[in-house]
Amino acid sequence: MSQSTMQESGYDSRTRANVLRVFQWSVAWVGTCALLVFGPKFLWAKVLVFTLLAVGLNVLVGIGAIMANKRYFEELDDLQRRVHLNSLAITVGVAFIVAVPCSVLDSYHVIPFHADVAHLVMLMGLTYGASNLYGTRRYR
Amino acid sequence: MKNRLKVLRAERDWTQAQLADALDVSRQTVNAIEKGKFDPSLPLAFRAARLFGLAIEAIFHDPALDKEESSLATEIKKDTYA
Repeated sequence: MSQSTMQESGYDSRTRANVLRVFQWSVAWVGTCALLVFGPKFLWAKVLVFTLLAVGLNVLVGIGAIMANKRYFEELDDLQRRVHLNSLAITVGVAFIVAVPCSVLDSYHVIPFHADVAHLVMLMGLTYGASNLYGTRRYR
Repeated sequence: MKNRLKVLRAERDWTQAQLADALDVSRQTVNAIEKGKFDPSLPLAFRAARLFGLAIEAIFHDPALDKEESSLATEIKKDTYA
């Protein structure tokens, strides 16, 4: 066995490459989302063909991001996969539990703001991050 | 589940990072297994067994199973000498 511990292990370098790939695809996807939102108004004066092309690009890059994420999960080790699986389970649960009552409360004008899908995405992101951090510390 | 991973690693004077590298997992995973916080999957248990040149049950064992086996042995003894 190699005595060198200074060098990054195969697992660590593979994970780092996968994280970078997911990050690049995610940034590209956010870019295409921005193009889809602002393009029709500021770039091509609401010409339908360009808007449809932007939608197509957004979907294609989204598929790329999903594939990069899938590969990242597949190449994680047992423990990391469990941590992420638990985080996903908590995130999906919280999303359902919060989204449905919020939607009902919004329809009856009980809450002072409009329940938007962006709020749900933010909540899911925060929940995923927090539960991932908890899982990582739990197995430390 | 209990295991002898830490003992086997110490016998070979390996660090957790070196063992993790040999098993193609993160150091955190080796640490969690050694502390008994996490049970490895069957493929990972096989990899560990192959690495140490031992049978899986020589590295990992279930205390509950030991108890069951010992109570079964007691019952057999009782039946034999009854």
